Amino acid sequence: MLPFSLELKPGLPITEQVIFAVKKAVVGGQLTPGQPFPSVRVVSQELKINPNTAHKIVAALVAQGVLITTPAVGSVVAERAAGDRQERADLLGRDLEQVVVEAKKLGLTLAEVQSGLAVQWKKLGGKKS
Amino acid sequence: MNYPMNIIETNRLSRRYWRTEALRDLTLTVPTGSVFALLGANGAGKTTAIKVLMNLLPPSAGEARVLGVDSRRLGERERAQIGYVSENQKLPRWMTVRQLLDYCRPFYPTWDPALETKLLGQFDLPVDRKLKNLSRGMLMKAALLSTLAYRPKLLVLDEPFSGLDPLARDDFVRGVLEASELGDWTVLVSSHDIEEVERLADNIALLEAGRLKFSETTEALLGRFRRMEVTVSGATQLGAPAAGWLELEQKGGLVRFIATQYDRTTTEQACRQRFPESAVTAHPMTLREIFVTLARETRNQPQGAAA
Repeated sequence: MLPFSLELKPGLPITEQVIFAVKKAVVGGQLTPGQPFPSVRVVSQELKINPNTAHKIVAALVAQGVLITTPAVGSVVAERAAGDRQERADLLGRDLEQVVVEAKKLGLTLAEVQSGLAVQWKKLGGKKS
Repeated sequence: MNYPMNIIETNRLSRRYWRTEALRDLTLTVPTGSVFALLGANGAGKTTAIKVLMNLLPPSAGEARVLGVDSRRLGERERAQIGYVSENQKLPRWMTVRQLLDYCRPFYPTWDPALETKLLGQFDLPVDRKLKNLSRGMLMKAALLSTLAYRPKLLVLDEPFSGLDPLARDDFVRGVLEASELGDWTVLVSSHDIEEVERLADNIALLEAGRLKFSETTEALLGRFRRMEVTVSGATQLGAPAAGWLELEQKGGLVRFIATQYDRTTTEQACRQRFPESAVTAHPMTLREIFVTLARETRNQPQGAAA
């Protein structure tokens, strides 16, 4: 079993989707700093992908500072893996873009979208405005 | 040992059976380290291509290099590094699974007994049953096991999944990945069903009536196709499709087409230019949708037009 949730959407490159899912899992607390990350072999077998692709995924996560590799132990989740506020905000970028596109299709204004967003935010008990 | 950058290279490879051209001018490179899917409908030339590559058939014209060697000169040294499992493979059907493995083992210096044991357990194979009494799925797994156990550098699978139930298919893929190695390990797999190899393959080639339609990485293929939806306002002239636009159509305020050379900036710019004040969305397409689109396009082309 992989220690992060992954919902693969057909049509998008698998590398991109897995990297995105891992980052989200780190921010969301499914993956905690110091936790071991599955080996390339396990990632390849669980996802049924070419081990070389799995290797690329792990290498990219290391390069982006999400994972650190230690000899003998393998990869673990990095201390500062969750990234700064900007990096976290970037994770939402795609979803936000989709909302904006839909809003434009419906002919809504920015103010209307913002107030709609505020209503949803309050519904879920968000404290910060 | 170092392998060439491309484990397979063909140059205008052709093969005819009497007057039928089963394979025509196939120029293809399979990069070392890839999982390469050779796709196409039944009769598109996949098996012929593989048989020529494996030197089971001589080419009528052109040439192929496998592991850096002319396919017509593949010798024992190369064969010991190539694993070939085919839907129509001839196996000694009077042997039991155990006898088959005992028979194969001495031929390969790289035979890995630990992997053999592991896969035997994983595949749940009855070792004392004769091959002729195995189900299709079991038989394919036995053939795969006798191949994976020597850890071939090049694994060639011809329609390995046809007729397998989902569980046997899963066993099969797991087995392949179990024997996989990082780096120069390569798989060439043919299939008529894209969904079987969608995740596994990082390179895809499509054969159509003996000719190569395209060959590119899965990532590039998925990246360049998008189903575009443009919400337009007021009366709009649809116009002729721009280059790389397929199936352009309009229903009321919605314009739809398929971009075959999608690029975020240029495609959206082109949309806005043609349809001012519009909202543009780009939806990724599955490989199946892409293939159906391409097949439809071929059918709609006038006879004799260049592919």
